[in-house]
Amino acid sequence: MNEQALITDAQQGNLDAFNTLVLHYQDSVFNTALRILGDEDQAADASQEAFISAFKSIASFRGGSFKAWLMRTVTNACYDELRRQKRRPTTPLEPDAGRDDGEEMDSPRWLADPNMTPEQKNEADELEHAIQHCLNNLPLEFKTVVVMADIQGMDYTEVAAAVRVPLGTIKSRLARARLRLRECLQGFAELLPASYRLEGGHAAQ
Amino acid sequence: MNQRDLEVLSAYLDGQLSPSDSARLESRLKTDPELVSVLDDLRAARTLLRQLPQRRAPRNFTLTRKMVGLNPPLPRAYPAFRFATTLATLLFFITFSVNALAPQFQQSLGFEVGGGAAEPELFSVQAPAATEPPAFADAAPTEAPAESVAADAAPQPTAMPTSEASMRAVDTPVAKDGVVGNADDQDQTQVANEAQSVPAPFIPSVWMIVFAVGAIVGAIFMAAMRRSSINRWK
Repeated sequence: MNEQALITDAQQGNLDAFNTLVLHYQDSVFNTALRILGDEDQAADASQEAFISAFKSIASFRGGSFKAWLMRTVTNACYDELRRQKRRPTTPLEPDAGRDDGEEMDSPRWLADPNMTPEQKNEADELEHAIQHCLNNLPLEFKTVVVMADIQGMDYTEVAAAVRVPLGTIKSRLARARLRLRECLQGFAELLPASYRLEGGHAAQ
Repeated sequence: MNQRDLEVLSAYLDGQLSPSDSARLESRLKTDPELVSVLDDLRAARTLLRQLPQRRAPRNFTLTRKMVGLNPPLPRAYPAFRFATTLATLLFFITFSVNALAPQFQQSLGFEVGGGAAEPELFSVQAPAATEPPAFADAAPTEAPAESVAADAAPQPTAMPTSEASMRAVDTPVAKDGVVGNADDQDQTQVANEAQSVPAPFIPSVWMIVFAVGAIVGAIFMAAMRRSSINRWK
């Protein structure tokens, strides 16, 4: 995929070129939104909004990391979604039965990994829920940075470009976010399955 | 453990420290178990986050043209056609006014261009009134066939004026010389009338054809450009 050529075409209004970029980045975008918002439906809505807004403003992209630029659009869409939630808190119409004891059977990850036994799946789900719970407790600006750096694997400069704060601020936020997450996850230590025990003897205790 | 140490440890974990800073931190780690403990905590948190499963997008987020409100782009030559409506209206009025002024224009042109051209017109107005009654009156008593021919021709004088005149021209030699002359005059004036009535709509029709061809060519050109730009867009 020649990303630069696709971006140039998209900037000239070529929707097919942009859609090729969408297909390439949609999983990263969705995962970022999912970890920031903690809800799949909201994350899907935010991702869609992010891509629409990205297409409309792609002319303003002036080079650099396209992923960082896209991540900025996603985080903005997530912030909009969170603001909307604050204004209009909603209660689900149906009780979310699948939430407490794991994912529903048609969860995309479950379909993507059919070799997992139900026990392994439960362990993974527990860990995932624990991490998501701790992420949800982080301040938004910490969460954004840690999601981009540690979940999306972006380097410091990319994160700084996406969040538009100095590199030093990124380092500081990332360090504090990691420490807070570790402290939060210690509360789940006994719930975590053996395969996910934290590294190092000190941390596992 | 201060904030600065925390940041240095986190950056060290990501390999973001300069070699000299790394060396300094590593020597401190050998003597400070608290630093080691925090480094382990940070590493553990990072490992957990990295192990978090990457979900697949629940659906494709590809955009449709409707979603982004895209319309086919206008052809590049569009600005040239932006005033087409104004131009068409102007041409319409010009054509109308030329048509409305055409008879006067023609008359003044006839008078000015040559006196000879104006003469048949004068004759055409005067001749029928002056010559017809004597011709009819003289023809009636002299010959019955002439009367019948005139009577036959009477219901359709407008349709076949020339034939009526020629008939009379054939008949009249029997009756009078003066009538023959008159009939010849009438014949000439009618021919002149016809000759004049043919070029009258001829001049505007050239322009009409030019305008019509221009309009059709313009419309085809515009449609072709529109189509090609839509195809390119698709």
